[in-house]
Amino acid sequence: MSIHHPITEAILLVIVVLGAWTGVIGMLRMKEPTQALHYLALPAVGGVALVIAVFAETGAGQASFKTLAIAFMMLAVNSVVAHATARAFRGRDIGHWQPRDGDHFEFVRDTKEFEE
Amino acid sequence: MNIWLLAACAVASSLVLCAFMCLRGTPERRLVGLEMTGLIVILSMVLFTVGMGRLILIDLPLTLAILSFGGGLVFVRFLGKYL
Repeated sequence: MSIHHPITEAILLVIVVLGAWTGVIGMLRMKEPTQALHYLALPAVGGVALVIAVFAETGAGQASFKTLAIAFMMLAVNSVVAHATARAFRGRDIGHWQPRDGDHFEFVRDTKEFEE
Repeated sequence: MNIWLLAACAVASSLVLCAFMCLRGTPERRLVGLEMTGLIVILSMVLFTVGMGRLILIDLPLTLAILSFGGGLVFVRFLGKYL
């Protein structure tokens, strides 16, 4: 059963378009590739609005649940790919991805602890 | 043209900027642009499918979403090890 409501769908589709455009523009504006990587999340969040819009347009059918699967893939898998990409960037820069002394991360322990 | 096709065109037009990102700069920036391109294409394919009323084509963006995971990881691995 669909709850076809043009205004709701229009608002949701505007969120999708804004998510895509802000993601792309933010990615372009960032100087560092690791910073640009963060903007991959915005189109994925727009995918959630897309799922709601598809459910509103077509009802709880096969297409809606496939769109739900697509949004899940975009959210879950995209974060894995983004993490792997950031790790590869760091590996290219310093030869390995493990934390070093002097890295400004609160969760990084002193590497001497690992050596002991 | 309904609102779905309008949204599809608006989302797909951002591919120009993605292409700009993919075609210039360091390999790292190009890879980020490629990953963003995959997301934008998936979104616009879903929007075009619903906008044209041919819901059977929803399998295509679903397949692309699954395959872009493997493809992205292959590119990341290649960039990290060989480039």
